[in-house]
Amino acid sequence: MDYFLTDNQKIIKRLAKKISDEVISKVASKYDWEGIFPKDILDLLAYTELTGVYIPKEYGGFGGGVLEMCLVVEELSRNCAGIAVSYAATALGAYPIMLYGTENQKKKYLTRIAKGEAIAAFALTEADAGSDVSNIKTVAEKQGDFYILNGNKHWITNGAEADIYVVFAVTDKSKGPRGISAFIVEKGYEGFYFGKKEDKMGIRASSTTELIFENCKVPKENLLGREGTGFIVAMKTFDRTRPGVAAMAVGIAQGAYEHALKYARERIQFGQPLTSFQAIQHMLADMYINIEAARSLLYSTCRMIDNGAKNYTKESSACKVFASDVAMKVTVDAVQIMGGNGYVKDYPVEKMMRDAKVTQIFEGANQIQRNIIASEIVKDL
Amino acid sequence: MNILVCVKQIVNPDKIEYDSTTKTIKRSLQHLMNNPADLNALEFALKLKDIYPDSQIYTLSMGSLECREKIKELVELGVDDAILLSDKRLAGSDASSTAYALSFAIKTLGRFDLILCGEHSLDGETSIVPPQIAQYLGICHIASVVDINPKDEGTLEVVKKIENVMAKFEVKLPVLLSVKKDSNLVRFPKLSFMIRAHSYEPKVLTLDDLKDIDVKKVGLEGSKTAVDGFEEEMMESTSCKIYEQASASEIECLADIILKLI
Ligand SMILES: Cc1cc2nc3c(=O)[nH]c(=O)nc-3n(C[C@H](O)[C@H](O)[C@H](O)COP(=O)(O)OP(=O)(O)OC[C@H]3O[C@@H](n4cnc5c(N)ncnc54)[C@H](O)[C@@H]3O)c2cc1C
Repeated sequence: MDYFLTDNQKIIKRLAKKISDEVISKVASKYDWEGIFPKDILDLLAYTELTGVYIPKEYGGFGGGVLEMCLVVEELSRNCAGIAVSYAATALGAYPIMLYGTENQKKKYLTRIAKGEAIAAFALTEADAGSDVSNIKTVAEKQGDFYILNGNKHWITNGAEADIYVVFAVTDKSKGPRGISAFIVEKGYEGFYFGKKEDKMGIRASSTTELIFENCKVPKENLLGREGTGFIVAMKTFDRTRPGVAAMAVGIAQGAYEHALKYARERIQFGQPLTSFQAIQHMLADMYINIEAARSLLYSTCRMIDNGAKNYTKESSACKVFASDVAMKVTVDAVQIMGGNGYVKDYPVEKMMRDAKVTQIFEGANQIQRNIIASEIVKDL
Repeated sequence: MNILVCVKQIVNPDKIEYDSTTKTIKRSLQHLMNNPADLNALEFALKLKDIYPDSQIYTLSMGSLECREKIKELVELGVDDAILLSDKRLAGSDASSTAYALSFAIKTLGRFDLILCGEHSLDGETSIVPPQIAQYLGICHIASVVDINPKDEGTLEVVKKIENVMAKFEVKLPVLLSVKKDSNLVRFPKLSFMIRAHSYEPKVLTLDDLKDIDVKKVGLEGSKTAVDGFEEEMMESTSCKIYEQASASEIECLADIILKLI
């Protein structure tokens, strides 16, 4: 399908595809199996200037939007979603600064992120606060020129690898979600440590780590937005970044579909290639339909956000839910088409099936997304 | 430093088809590629520019106007200006005529501190274009180069590889170096270079732009060599022998063969 991307968007997609096909495809299996953090590939993305595609020009970026970010994530995910999410999680950490940072904060942090000199992370989830993010227990207490952070964050992508963290903590317990504030925390701040690294089913090249704050001193100028606006910072960030998860899902699905199609063309059973059996043809047709539909919804949502729409919560959630469900279905079918070879590590689709699963879970599980969509629909009545 | 890199657009050797009547290679746009060793030469130029950012990198190609699309890929890698010498009268030039025409194009373009070429093109494999250009320009030439490092202003340290022997030279500029294929890893393009390349049009020179060139010395007529015919050699499948239970002497014999190979 022709998505009428601009010339620059086509160039971004072509460059990301080149890196994905020529570099990532060759290391994906090894990095996944051994859990190697793809610092070398992030460095290549920095050299090629893809780290700054979604960051405004005044902070050293390319000046694109969510669509540009998603085009990169989609192409990288075609070969390895674990590597792609290491890139995308930096965007998740950069967006709150872009949306709510002061001029000084933007200059200080976004310029480094745009150049790929700094990796970012977003730290909201805790052991007892997953879907129910308002239940976070990490506290930030103001003492003179500092906020003192205490608490633990779980499941943080880019965990110990990042340089800049946007961390959410309670500044006023009595106010519930309105008592949460966001802070920019740098690696190396006193009292900031790393805990357990997760051993995951999929996206194993990415690093998911626990963060520990023990009387961590954060300068007061690192408060993001105003005190008490943290929950809004998180929700508005997710509205912009959920399409990134959808892009990851579309990329995984596209990769699995391409492998399954190639395999079905070459594999002969009963004297014919698998592609001559209608049962297989229909699976391939459904894969194609679903991927194109997911991509169409994704790109439309991105364009809506980048063109300045006021509210895009339900569209952003819808593209995340739809694309991640598509990725799960397509990868399961790709494994099925490839039979025993789909189930072993000699071919990449078993990894894609493992990688797809997390797109239905993180940045708000799909059940929560459906809750969000429903509440937006009902509100609109 | 002013650096010029000669880059030939060739037909992908996997896709080569010959025209038996004209005795030339059929050139179709979708199968054109930049000669790999020339890209290794360009990578050395880019490496020098990393060290001396004020350097200017130019590329020079000779071929049909169709080559312009592939030349854009050089701009994507970071070339400042790309020049294509294109003229119907150049068609059918042999290696010697090509070197002659290129050397006049280089003289027209100006003075260069360093000229880099790939050691040979995958479609021609003569390796005589670079030394002949150097000869026409009256500058020193070193072939089989595998590494280039700046020594001081105006001097390069050049490593050349012949079989298993490495030879290190110190050369004063200007010099022409022809670079061995795979002597480095060619870098990826940058987004900003790709965007520039998208709207970039290589500068086209014709023979009329080249001062003092003798047009009788180029093209099919001016070439001293002519292709007499093509013959495709069928590859014989390598015979493979499986030893189920090899004897000690057979194992010794095999070990001997392997040792000779490595
Ligand atoms: C690999 C990975 C990386 C991650 N990276 C980050 C990161 O960088 N930063 C960060 O802050 N977090 C991160 N997370 C956390 C992630 O966002 C949460 O895991 C996710 O929001 C779900 O929370 P939970 O795991 O606690 O599940 P729970 O909230 O315990 O939910 C369990 C199940 O119950 C369902 N459920 C819960 N509540 C409801 C309800 N009200 N209605 C219907 N169903 C419900 C959920 O949908 C889910 O299926 C990451 C997680 C993973 C696995």
